[in-house]
Amino acid sequence: MAAEGQTTGTAPGERHAIGISFGNSNSSIAYTTTEDKAEVIANEDGDRQIPSILSYVDGEEYNGQQAKQQLIRNSKNTVAYFRDFLGKDFKSIDPSHCHASAHPKEFESTVAFEIQDKEGDERSTVTVSEITTRNLKRLAQSATDFTGKQVNSAVITVPTDFSEKQKEALTKAANDAGLEVLQLIHEPIAALLAYDARPESKVSDKTVVVADLGGTRSDVAVIASRGGMYTILATAHDYEFAGVQMDKVLMDHFAKEFIKWNTTDPRENDRSLAKLKLEAEATKKALSIGTNANFSVESLAEGADFASTINRLRYETIARKIFDGFNRLIEGVVKKAGLDVLEIDEVILSGGTSHTPKIASNMRSIFAESTTILAPSTTPTAINPSELQARGAALQASLIQEYEKEDIEQSTHPAVTTVKHLSNAIGVLSITGDESRGVFTPIISAETAVPARRTIHINSPKDGGDVLVKIVEGGSHIKVTKPEPKPKTNGEKNDGEEDEDEDDSDDDPEDVREKVWKVGNVLAEAAVKGVKKGGKVEVMINVAGDLAVTVTCREVGGKGGVRGNLSAP
Amino acid sequence: MATHTQVSLPLPFLPEGWSAEKDFKAIGSLTAATQRSIEPVGPHFLAHARRARHKRTFSEDDR
Ligand SMILES: Nc1ncnc2c1ncn2[C@@H]1O[C@H](COP(=O)(O)OP(=O)(O)OP(=O)(O)O)[C@@H](O)[C@H]1O
Ligand SMILES: [Mg+2]
Repeated sequence: MAAEGQTTGTAPGERHAIGISFGNSNSSIAYTTTEDKAEVIANEDGDRQIPSILSYVDGEEYNGQQAKQQLIRNSKNTVAYFRDFLGKDFKSIDPSHCHASAHPKEFESTVAFEIQDKEGDERSTVTVSEITTRNLKRLAQSATDFTGKQVNSAVITVPTDFSEKQKEALTKAANDAGLEVLQLIHEPIAALLAYDARPESKVSDKTVVVADLGGTRSDVAVIASRGGMYTILATAHDYEFAGVQMDKVLMDHFAKEFIKWNTTDPRENDRSLAKLKLEAEATKKALSIGTNANFSVESLAEGADFASTINRLRYETIARKIFDGFNRLIEGVVKKAGLDVLEIDEVILSGGTSHTPKIASNMRSIFAESTTILAPSTTPTAINPSELQARGAALQASLIQEYEKEDIEQSTHPAVTTVKHLSNAIGVLSITGDESRGVFTPIISAETAVPARRTIHINSPKDGGDVLVKIVEGGSHIKVTKPEPKPKTNGEKNDGEEDEDEDDSDDDPEDVREKVWKVGNVLAEAAVKGVKKGGKVEVMINVAGDLAVTVTCREVGGKGGVRGNLSAP
Repeated sequence: MATHTQVSLPLPFLPEGWSAEKDFKAIGSLTAATQRSIEPVGPHFLAHARRARHKRTFSEDDR
């Protein structure tokens, strides 16, 4: 799609590009079909979520799910949770997730793993860069096998807090795997693009929260999406509450149950712990679909098999602290962006943990009724949250793969990407030209990057005539109305400690909060004369890169019109 | 082009005695803006970058 006309020099026609999402827990690969639809590729094991794990047995390399299984028997030669170590020195990494797999160690200026990756007893020191290269090679191979064409380039997603050094390290590791990195794009932006690229989605101005809840980290971004252009307004990152903590809750739950019937704690033995963890994760995933799930491990400890079940409500109760953590993180970043939850139009739940229904229902209660919550349990047409990033990356790859490397670099240069963004909305007053009484209707939203252009069609009075178009700036704020106090009918305290107490009582009347516009700076007035009965007026606002404004007003379908300019501030 | 936002609340009548040259009165300028980075991703960004690099306006781009 949309290749630029003029290509000079070597034609990049030799490229065969894919999108790659590479997380600490899972990797995922996607390509675009001939109809420009992004699809995630299953590897040879049939997995679309490919654990970012490599394991070595007698010199043979395993990756993905097969490597993950090796965490039980061969944990020392199994490398997992390494993405965030790339481009960092040993002192600044958090190795805690590698507790049950090969331990990272300091090696020269980087991080490495000591593993037995060849036949024989010799151990080698393999840097995180080399491990990443091997992981990417396996992904590229799976994509090559699937598409039947040698994959040689990619768009790869990275967290919004990835440093330049980390990006360089990732690019180098990819190059060493035989992949040209067309572009590194931010994970939440990839997720948003995956949604916006759907044929049914309309280009609009909206403010979006992307909550990417993964295995070892949770990342949230508030994004101003304006006419299909994206600006990140705020981000937050959390390493305390993510998927593995939810596994842990289930591990502890079932370990305690096991102890009731047996004498040992399965958490005290490495192999039992590994089994407990794998099954806890499977149970957790099952609870995203069913309201009951089994937990069963053969020979968990002391040679004893263990089987049990748990229902979703129980799980949601014991994992409540983690859910609360997600809520706080998400509410916090909205605040950090200087916004209110009422100003969020869309919440995209991304990352594997976002399959959890409780998280989506919590979003439903945090945000306004008008906010779209895009998650599998709230929206039947939601895209699989585990696939969003790889899909977005594949879409971007197909958009730019025809470009010369130089063109891509020029377009992503700060000279092109750093631009002015409007501080206030620009709009028109309806009903009356009096700023204190007129109703503000936004035409261009605040945080829109300039240059920008928007057009609206607005009714004229019933019988037409001469009308006033008054262009003003507007700021949104939140109006809080106290409800009438109700007499207390029941004195019981609800301390939320009770196990199966799901809804908090709705008895307390809550403040009514609404978003309202406050009219600010008056910019211009224009007259459109002789509008016919039932006629509409078109108002077009064009803001140049230096904030000079051109206003054009005319009767829809009419000739001529009024046009005027406002100088840059 | 794309469909435009439709607003049903009507515009006010032109006040008695309002007059301006060519029916347009410039009154103010925009409030100062903030510098931020747009993400170089997606088809609309590419169109933006193309305009920026070739110093083209929207209407030149429409043609
Ligand atoms: N259906 C599901 N229900 C609940 N949790 C799930 C489901 N599917 C995957 N997960 C969890 O999602 C997490 C992995 O998320 P994702 O694939 O987004 O990882 P990632 O981005 O690689 O993670 P990281 O945060 O470690 O970088 C794991 O904890 C996994 O158990
Ligand atoms: Mg992730």
